Amino acid sequence: MEIKTTGVAGTLESSDIQIMISKGDDGIQIDLDSEVIKAYGDQIKKVITDTLEKYGIDNAKVKAVDKGALDCVIAARTLAAAQRATETSDRPELGVLQ
Amino acid sequence: MIDHTVGLIDDNGKLVGTGSIAGNVLKYIAVTNENAVQGARFSQIVTALQQYLYSIKCYHSFVFTKAQYATSFSHLGFNEVARTDEAAFLESGTPNIDDFVSNIPNPYKGKNKKVAAIVMNANPFTKGHQQLVELASKENDLVYVFVVQTDASLFKTDERLNLVKQGTADFKNVLVISGGDYMVSKSTFPAYFLKSSDELITTQTQIDAHVFKNFIAPSLSITRRYLGTEPFSRTTSFYNQSLSSILNPEIEVKIINRFQANEQVITATYVRQLIKEDKLAEIASFVPNSTMQFISANKEALQTRIRKGMNINGN
Repeated sequence: MEIKTTGVAGTLESSDIQIMISKGDDGIQIDLDSEVIKAYGDQIKKVITDTLEKYGIDNAKVKAVDKGALDCVIAARTLAAAQRATETSDRPELGVLQ
Repeated sequence: MIDHTVGLIDDNGKLVGTGSIAGNVLKYIAVTNENAVQGARFSQIVTALQQYLYSIKCYHSFVFTKAQYATSFSHLGFNEVARTDEAAFLESGTPNIDDFVSNIPNPYKGKNKKVAAIVMNANPFTKGHQQLVELASKENDLVYVFVVQTDASLFKTDERLNLVKQGTADFKNVLVISGGDYMVSKSTFPAYFLKSSDELITTQTQIDAHVFKNFIAPSLSITRRYLGTEPFSRTTSFYNQSLSSILNPEIEVKIINRFQANEQVITATYVRQLIKEDKLAEIASFVPNSTMQFISANKEALQTRIRKGMNINGN
């Protein structure tokens, strides 16, 4: 899946996560900002990476600002940002979240 | 100057927060934390402002704030680019300053060569600019000439950039590059373009100097910065002071006296005045041929811009 523009989803409010996805050429690179990065950083990155790979994105720059989001929220925000970045929001691929 | 303003209303219809956007800069953010979780309203305001920017396809934003509020923005994913005792300058999103510098050619990285930089608005490019570049070109292995990107001058950004490229084409070790958002831009240094108080100019020039020292110079191995003395512009003379005190000793600051033609100091301000007065013949001694040709070919357009209110007495 080709990234055509920058895609953003989510807010900076409590229990949410803001994901910004833009073009990359060196695998999935995640820059994560989180108060709970020590305890959950690896898990958050895994959810983002899994979601992107499931959607068919292998190269992307991801900037994530986490405010204590649950895994289901992380996956949903990642998918929304990915579909915006690939300009495919008109065809929601909700199967990726299952 | 303000493009967009948001207000946050609580359940009782009371205004409890606000924030604004000018270009891609977040401004005038204020919230009350009364009857609210600390920081919750602040996050809502910043989110709303960023979502406005995303809606116009702008994914990179800045904030220029008092030093004590820098951490509040860091918590929301902003990265600090520079700070002074009074102020902090942060950015969020993409492309960021690392992307900016990594896109600039850097042939001498780690090679222990003499690399210098000059930042100029070149409104327009004069013989004074040309002689400053020539001097730097002789004294160094490589010279970066950064041209101010903000489009707030009589000569438009692409016109200024092209005239600098044409006027420096003979110097083979000179690279002409847009200064982007990070060198004398309306984000880092709005006072360059607007009449401002001494305090504000000092703070902004210090921030600009720190951005250069923290990011631009180290990633491009720049060890010298050339400046022209500024007998007429108060803003530029403050800028020179801030650069000298902050860049030294890591980066050598060389202040060069203004060059003269016909026993008169060459300044772009005077050239603009002559364009306004339609005295094109007098301009020739102050500007290189390339600039002269451009002015002659575009005289009407330039004079129309001045008539329409473009300020020509600033920078």
